[in-house]
Amino acid sequence: MIDRFANSGFHPFVLPFLVGMIFVLTYCFFGMVRIIWELPGKDRRRFFLSLVTPRTAWKNVKDIFLNCLIHVKLWKRNPVLGYMHSSIAFGWFMIILLGHIEVMLFLPERIRFFYYPIFFNFFVAEGESTIQGSVLMFLMDFFLLIILSGIAMAIVKRFASLWFGMRRTTRLSFLDSVGLYSLWAIFPLRLLSESFTAHISGGSFLTVPMNRMFVWFFGNDMNYLPTWWAYSIALGIFMIVLPFTRYMHIPAEMLLIPLRNAGIRIIHPRKGFARVQVRSCPGCGVCIDACPMSVKKENLKDCTVYLNRQIRRGNEKRIAEISDKCLLCGKCTEVCQVGVPGPEMRLAQRSLRKYSINPHYSNIQVDPFIDAIPTGTRVLYFAGCMTHLTPGIKKSVLSLLDKAGASYSVMDPDGGLCCGRPMMMAGRDEQAREMIRLNTEIIRASGCNVLLLSCPICYRIFKEKYKLGNIRIVHHSVYFNELIHAGRLKVNREEALKLVYHDPCELGRGCGIYDEPREAVSAAGTLVEARQNHAESICCGGSLGSITLSYEKREGITRNSVDNLMAGSPDAIVTACPLCLSTFNKYADVPVKDLATVLDEKC
Amino acid sequence: MAEYIAVVGGGIAGMETAVRLKALGLEPVLIERSESLGGHVASWHRLFPDMSHADKLIKDLEKGLEDVDVQLGAEISSLNPLRKGYSLVLTNGKVYPCRAIVLATGFSLFPAERKEEYGYGIYDHVITNRDLEGWFNGKADSRVPESPRAIGFVHCVGSRDIKAGNSQCSKVCCITAIKQAIEMKEKFPEAEVYCFYMDLRLFGKKYEDFYIKAQRDYNIHFIRGRVSEVAETIDGQVQVKAEDTLSGKPVRVRLDLLVLMAGIVCNADNQTFTQAVQMPLDDDGFFRSRDNVGAITESDRPGVFFAGACTGAKTIPETLAEARSAALNVYLYVKGLK
Repeated sequence: MIDRFANSGFHPFVLPFLVGMIFVLTYCFFGMVRIIWELPGKDRRRFFLSLVTPRTAWKNVKDIFLNCLIHVKLWKRNPVLGYMHSSIAFGWFMIILLGHIEVMLFLPERIRFFYYPIFFNFFVAEGESTIQGSVLMFLMDFFLLIILSGIAMAIVKRFASLWFGMRRTTRLSFLDSVGLYSLWAIFPLRLLSESFTAHISGGSFLTVPMNRMFVWFFGNDMNYLPTWWAYSIALGIFMIVLPFTRYMHIPAEMLLIPLRNAGIRIIHPRKGFARVQVRSCPGCGVCIDACPMSVKKENLKDCTVYLNRQIRRGNEKRIAEISDKCLLCGKCTEVCQVGVPGPEMRLAQRSLRKYSINPHYSNIQVDPFIDAIPTGTRVLYFAGCMTHLTPGIKKSVLSLLDKAGASYSVMDPDGGLCCGRPMMMAGRDEQAREMIRLNTEIIRASGCNVLLLSCPICYRIFKEKYKLGNIRIVHHSVYFNELIHAGRLKVNREEALKLVYHDPCELGRGCGIYDEPREAVSAAGTLVEARQNHAESICCGGSLGSITLSYEKREGITRNSVDNLMAGSPDAIVTACPLCLSTFNKYADVPVKDLATVLDEKC
Repeated sequence: MAEYIAVVGGGIAGMETAVRLKALGLEPVLIERSESLGGHVASWHRLFPDMSHADKLIKDLEKGLEDVDVQLGAEISSLNPLRKGYSLVLTNGKVYPCRAIVLATGFSLFPAERKEEYGYGIYDHVITNRDLEGWFNGKADSRVPESPRAIGFVHCVGSRDIKAGNSQCSKVCCITAIKQAIEMKEKFPEAEVYCFYMDLRLFGKKYEDFYIKAQRDYNIHFIRGRVSEVAETIDGQVQVKAEDTLSGKPVRVRLDLLVLMAGIVCNADNQTFTQAVQMPLDDDGFFRSRDNVGAITESDRPGVFFAGACTGAKTIPETLAEARSAALNVYLYVKGLK
């Protein structure tokens, strides 16, 4: 290969690209510095430490390669979309990589001009050593073809998203459209410009025939410069708008992954880790179809993708609206390719809320609660307020404990203190912490070694926020399943009884408990699955998570969830959450029972 | 071929409509899905405000039905519009060509077990208003203790309750609760009787007198505030937690018997009728009158009329008055006078 511009190594058409490139790199660099700066000191140290720890460092490289380039998660979910994304991302990455290899091989002195690898074919002419480059040329054309196929799919998808399994997708903002159209333009323009100069620089199976065709069509080869300009301008536009569009997720995710691998959590609602999360949202809109509220058109703009967009825009009114409305079921996070944690983002926003009345609970005496628990208690059962409102569950739990011959005490026979989770969901962290402190005191003083819970809402906060030392925190679905396996509960299985298990959000997605309740259900009857189950189960609509959804507005959500559960035409719906139970009870046509009740009936 | 007037539902509304239609010289056929007439009223004991006996009302209505075609244990299996009127096929195989239909399908009682926090079906001493009337009628009920010392009534169970999916007022439970409270106090003069209410809606003739009598002569305690939850104590009593919103304090009362005033809700199968005759259902699930002020017994469809609580909660006198009005409207319609 021969350098055509041996003197300067420059041509003015590279300027748009150069400006865009310098801008986007500077922007990303300062953005990264700012985000790391915004992290609390402890998190920052943790982050730096994780970068030099071999295990996390390797995980970072692996995750970035698999998620950002190959889009493994998306392949698993939707292979067509997976191909579309990885063809563009990985193809583009390969073209850039191959460009660098070409420069390093043939014009190593030019590597310091970082437009050379991009516009290599403009700057070189075929020489004696062309044959060495033909493999690279072939690969270049090959990956360009792959990218073009992805772009073609993207164009089709824009106008017919249903073909790609997406019922609803986001509406683009103006700059998003600019970014989108410039991205679409980049690769066809690259094909055109490389084809125009293919007789000079050489090419492969794609560019050479196209070059012949152009020469035959135009009669000369004078048209190459406008296409190279256009190619450079398209790149320039894309990179200049990138920080202000959803395409910011490309660089942001590369920071998000190491931060997440370092175990950092959202603390400030807007700064630091939250800022990376918002910027990492690709705005694909998968969360729209996943959101249980989307059964009503009026809620379509309240899912996580729009929260991120509004945070970027700084629209405080809409941020508050979206944050307060959410049921915090966590399904958006489950389907999100980047893993933006919708509920955590919203909880962080809610902590900004200023309440005019802030009750304090320092006057609550824990002694009467402690005194009510007999000494020598091993299993301490905390029913919680939701179970008190569904006394059937409490009765079944106690009856099962008796049948298993367990020695237990009830922590709140006459009503107890709140676990704190509802307060936390309402953004009242301080009050929640007070409850946690009081309950911890009672539980530690009781001398128990197992804390049994029948409400997943309580269970989650006990698991996540309470520090109870060696006391085992266990949900009744897990506990009773163990008792069945240990032979302490004899359940008479009724083969003909078809039972569907509904995964409560807080137990399933919240705490990752999916299998034990199913095993226990199978001990009582034949388990059938809902259309969407496990991590993709649909929130019952009764969640305490939403502060603003009225009961009437929840009806559609609940009916949709019931409909999903009825896919296998079960005889009864089984759940393991008192709130799901009472919510479903309103609209289900078949009996709705708690797991404990089902087991107790067959014991 | 005789042209019938179908009256669907053999409660007091349907019975009175059929009686009046017969008296007007038309040919009613009264269709009732259960094996006996009288509907909800038949399971009641005594009626406010005169403490008259429910079975006497039913017997009087039955007397007027001697010459009327009554189809018991029958439901409508298909309902098809004809050029003039409707063709009705019953589940017992009989076919009636009808000139008009009067829907008197009434209401359902809210299933109290849906308000699980009140413990109906879970605790030993929680019953509903209907259970109590059954017990008044002499039906044995182990949930009613022999000599209760404290009895509570919870108003608005499943009515005026958005959470239960039922926002309308059931109209009759306030006065029913007061009536039942007085009856219990008469049976157990030593017992303390509590009524937990949100509002007392005592709109009818002599209702207010009843309320004053209950407080003054029977010393019944009225506590304004919704019951939040009910628990069972170790000795089998029920403990009610509520907030006394007048004094602004939480109250806890231990009771030997708790009576839930289950509200009036629409029938779940109302939709099958509205679909068959292609008319809309009201948003509360009851049938929709053509006009809620001037034409409450008329529907949007020609030849379809309503009587009684199928269009919303009603008292017995209101129901009977509507039944007569419906019968008259059918007469005018059939004779082409309206």
